[in-house]
Amino acid sequence: MNLYAIQLETLLVILGVTTLLADAFRPVEDRRKLGLIVGTLVGVLFLYSFSLKPVEDTLFHGMYRLDAFALFFKRLFLLATAMVLVMGAEFSKRIEAGVAEFYALILFCATGMLLIASVNDFILLFVTLELVTITFYILASYLRRQIPSLEAGTKYLILGALSSGFTVYGIAYVFGTTGTTNFDTLAAGLRQTGIPNGAFTFGMLLVLTGLGFKIASVPFQIWVPDVYQGAPTPVTAFLAVGSKAAGFALLLRVLYAGLLPVQETWAILLVVLAAATLVYGNLGALSQRNIKRMLGYSSIGHAGYLLMGVAAVNALGAGAVLFYLGQYAFTNLCAFIVIVAVTNVTGSDEIPSFAGLGKRAPILGLALFLAMASLAGVPPLSGFFGKFQLFAAVIERAATDGRYYVLAAIGAAAVVVSLYFYFNVARAIYIQEPEDSTAIPVTLPVRVTLVVCMVAMIGLGIYQRPLVEMAVTAASGFGLK
Amino acid sequence: MENLLTIAVLLPLAAAFLTFLFPAKKPGAIRALALFATGVSLLLTLYIFSQFNRQDAGFQFVKSIEWLPSLGVNLKFGVDGISMTLMLLVGIVSFCGALVSNEIHEREKEYYILFLALTSGISGTFCALDMFFFYFFYELAVIPMYLLIGMFGSLPAGKHGRTKEYATMKLTLYLTAGAVLALIGLLTMYFAGGRTFDMVELQQNLRLSGETQRWVFPCLLFGFGFLASLFPFHTWSPIGYAAAPTAASMMHAGVLKKLGAYGIIRLALPLLPEGARHWADLLAILCIFNVLYAGLTALTQKDWKFVIGYSSVSHMGYVMLGIATLNVIGVSGAVLLMFAHGVMAALTFSLIGFFYHQTHNRDVTALSGLAKKIPFISVCMVMAAMASSGLPGFANFASEIMVFLGAWQQGSTVFRVATVCAVWGIVVTATYLLWAVRTSFFGPFDEKWAMLKDAVTFKQRFPYVLLLLVLLTVGFWPRLLTDIIKPSVERIVSTQSVILSEAKNLSPSEKRPETIETLRFAQGDKVESVVKQ
Repeated sequence: MNLYAIQLETLLVILGVTTLLADAFRPVEDRRKLGLIVGTLVGVLFLYSFSLKPVEDTLFHGMYRLDAFALFFKRLFLLATAMVLVMGAEFSKRIEAGVAEFYALILFCATGMLLIASVNDFILLFVTLELVTITFYILASYLRRQIPSLEAGTKYLILGALSSGFTVYGIAYVFGTTGTTNFDTLAAGLRQTGIPNGAFTFGMLLVLTGLGFKIASVPFQIWVPDVYQGAPTPVTAFLAVGSKAAGFALLLRVLYAGLLPVQETWAILLVVLAAATLVYGNLGALSQRNIKRMLGYSSIGHAGYLLMGVAAVNALGAGAVLFYLGQYAFTNLCAFIVIVAVTNVTGSDEIPSFAGLGKRAPILGLALFLAMASLAGVPPLSGFFGKFQLFAAVIERAATDGRYYVLAAIGAAAVVVSLYFYFNVARAIYIQEPEDSTAIPVTLPVRVTLVVCMVAMIGLGIYQRPLVEMAVTAASGFGLK
Repeated sequence: MENLLTIAVLLPLAAAFLTFLFPAKKPGAIRALALFATGVSLLLTLYIFSQFNRQDAGFQFVKSIEWLPSLGVNLKFGVDGISMTLMLLVGIVSFCGALVSNEIHEREKEYYILFLALTSGISGTFCALDMFFFYFFYELAVIPMYLLIGMFGSLPAGKHGRTKEYATMKLTLYLTAGAVLALIGLLTMYFAGGRTFDMVELQQNLRLSGETQRWVFPCLLFGFGFLASLFPFHTWSPIGYAAAPTAASMMHAGVLKKLGAYGIIRLALPLLPEGARHWADLLAILCIFNVLYAGLTALTQKDWKFVIGYSSVSHMGYVMLGIATLNVIGVSGAVLLMFAHGVMAALTFSLIGFFYHQTHNRDVTALSGLAKKIPFISVCMVMAAMASSGLPGFANFASEIMVFLGAWQQGSTVFRVATVCAVWGIVVTATYLLWAVRTSFFGPFDEKWAMLKDAVTFKQRFPYVLLLLVLLTVGFWPRLLTDIIKPSVERIVSTQSVILSEAKNLSPSEKRPETIETLRFAQGDKVESVVKQ
C-alpha cells in the first residue's frame, strides 16, 4: 500500500535520473528534443494519475495521505511540470550548459511538490518544502552569466533560507508544547484543550511565516518581483504555478487539517494578510513595464485572492481555492509560454516589445490576450469563475461576521485596479502598432500547449462543472461546512 | 418555442465562434454570416414577440438547463414584458449595427467576432433568469467593448490629448467597478435567499431585513448605475461613445447602457422594496443632475458624438427618474423610454457614422450646409433630433410623458421638483440639438464638403428607415409595447407590496398596487389626437 501511494513520485525520480543518463549518450543538438520527450512522458504520467484511487487511511506511520485532496494537487503539479518542460525545451538554446540537468532539476522539484500534496506531518512538511526550495535556488540562477538571474537566485536563497529557518524553529515550538508533529493528533488535542499556551501560538506563527514565503503573501513577498524578473522564464512559470500551489496545499493542510478547532484565533489574521496582499500586489503591478515583473506583482495579488478563500474557512472557500489554483495553472502557463516564444525572437520582455503581437503572431497574441483577460477575471474565461467563487465564499462568511465585507470590498477594488495593468498588455497586443512587423514563428509544441491552455481557459470559464466537482470532492475531506 | 429564445440569444455567439474558424481573407463571407446571425436573431425575436401571451405577466418561454448543481446555477432563459421589449431593441439595433458596419475595411474578422459576442452578451443579460448568468453575460461585454473601441475607434479632437485608448480603458474600468459593486449585493441576496440564483425563486424566498436592504440596495443601484451613466458616474460614457466605431456606439448607447437600468428594475426593485423606498429620493435628486447637468454640458460641446453622448446621459436621467417613482406608470414609462431612446440613439449614431466616414470630421461648427449634399441623411437627422426632443409622434414622447406623470403622481416634494426640472430638460435638449442640426446641416454650404455622397440605394437607406419606422410605429401606437410592459411592471410592484406587507405582518391582499388609470392618457388615440393638432 505504501508503494502504491508513492508510485508517481517514484516514477518521476526514475525519469529524472534517466534524463541525466540519456544526456550522456546523446549529442548536444538533441537537448530540445529531450525536453519535449520528457515533457510528453510527464504528460502521460498526468493521464495515468487519473487511474489512482484515494486511500482512506494515513500511510507511513501517519505522515502521508493519499486522499482526494492529495490526488488533486498531484495532478495539478504533473500537468504544470509537463508544460514547464515543454517551455524549458523551447527555452533550452539560451541555457549555456547543463540542459539535461535543468530538466532533471525540474523533475526533482516536481517530486517534492507531489510529496507536499500528501503531507500530514510537520517533519515531512519541512523535508518536502526544502526539497522544492533548494532545487529552486539552483533553477533561479541557471543563466549563470546573466547578473539578473544570479541576483534572483541569491535573493531567493537568502530569503528562502531565512524562512526555512523560521519554519523549523516554529515546528520545534509546536512539538515542544504539544508533543506531536502529526496533524491529526494535533487537531484532536486542540479540540480537547484549545490552544495550550503562548509558545504554541508563537510556533504556529513561525510556521506560517515559512508558508507565507512560499505563497508570496505580504509581508513575505519582497523577493517576488526580482526573482520573477531575473529567473529563466520556465522557472518563473514553475514558481508562479507550482511553488505557489504547493504553498497553498500546505497552508490548507496545516490550517484545515491541523488547526481547524482553533480557527477563531487565526481566521482574522488571514483576513488582514489577504487584504494587505491584495493591495500590495495590485498597486505594485500598476507601474511595471517588464511583463515578468508585472506578473510577479500579479502573482502576489493572486495570492491575495486565494487567501480570501482560505480566510473564509468554509467548504465553498476551500473548493474555490482549489478551482482557482487549477485554472490559474493553465492561465499563467499560457502567458509564460507566449513570453518564451516572443523573447526567443525579440530578446526583450518589456511590455512595449509585445506591441502588435496580434498581427505578428495571431495565435501568440490571442493566447496572451486570453491569459490576461483570465487573470483579470472577465468572462467567459476561467479566472472569472474562480474569482466569483472566492467572492461568494467571503460573502457567505460575511453573513455571520461583518468584517468580511471589508475584505470583499478590498477584493472588489483590487479587481478593478488589476484590469488596468492586464488590459495594458491587451492594448499592446491588439491596439498598438508593431515597430517591427515581421512574423514570429511558432513551433508545433508551443502551438499544441497554447491550444490546450486556451481550450481549458475558455472551457472552464463556460462549463465549470468538471473542475468544480473535482475541487469540491478534494476539499470535502476537511469536513468544513 | 422555449428553444427559440435560447437560439435567438446564442445564435450570434455561435456565429462568432464560426467566424473564428473562417479565413481572414474572406471578409465578404464573414460579413454575410454576421448579417445572417443578427437578422435571424431579430426574426426569431419578432416571432417570439408575436407569440407572446399579453395576458400573462410572468416569465414566458422559460427554458432551464442544470449547469452547476453544487452552487445552484442553472442556465435559465425566459422573458416577461420588460425583457421582451428590450430583446426587440437588441434585435433591431444589432441588425442595423451589422448593416452599417460596412465602413470597416480592415481586420473584419476580429471586428465581427467582437460585435457578435457583444450582441449575445447583451441579449443574454436581458433573458437570463439566473443571477449567475445574468452577471456572466453582463460582464461578457467587457472584452468586446474594450477591443472594439481600442482597435476600430477614433477620437479626433480628444481634449487634453486624450486618446481612444484612454476612452476605452476608462469605460472598461467604470463598467467593471460597477459590476463588482453589484456582485457584492447579488451574492448577499444569493445566500440570504437560501443559496439560489433563480430570480423567480428569490422573489418567493428572499426576505431581507429593512436594515440589510438599505445597504444592499445602493450596491445594486450604484453598481448598475455606473453602466446606466447615473450622475456622478457618467463621465466614461460620452468619451466612450465618441471614441467608438459607429456600430459600437449604437450598441453601447442603444442597448448596453440599458442593461444597468434593467438590472435595477429586474433585481433591485422587486427584491429590495424597503431599500428602494429609502433611496428613491436621493435617486430622484441625482436624476435632476443627470438631466440638467449633462444637458447643459451637451450645450457646450462641439463634437457631434460628444453632443449626442451627453444627450444620452441626460436622457438616462429620465429613465432613472421613472424607476425612482416605484409606481406602475413611472416604471413602465422608464422601460418604454429605454426602448425609444435605444432606437433613437442608434439612429443618431449611425447617421453621424455615415457622414463622419466621408468627412473624417464631426465638429459641429466645421460642418455646414450638409443638407445640400446629403438630403436624405439630413432629413433623418432632423427627425432623430425631433424624436430626441420628445416631439409627439415619436416613441420618446409617449414614454417621457409616462415618466413625468409617474413622477408627479409620486407626490412628494422632491419628485415634484424633479418633474419640473425634467420637463425643463426637454427645452435644453431641443436647444442643443436644434443648434447642432442647424449649424451642420443648414446654413451656407461649404465647398470643402462637395465630395459627400448621400445614401441613395435601398440597401444604404434601409437601416435608417427601419429605425425611424420603429420610432414612429411605437410613437403612434405605444400600446404595442405598453400592453406587455405594464402587466410585468405591475407584477414587480405587487411583489414589492407583498414583501413590504409581510414585513409589517399584514396579509398580502390588504395592500394592492395603485391603479394605473393615468396610464391610459399616454396611450393610443390620445397621443394620435395630439399629433393631429
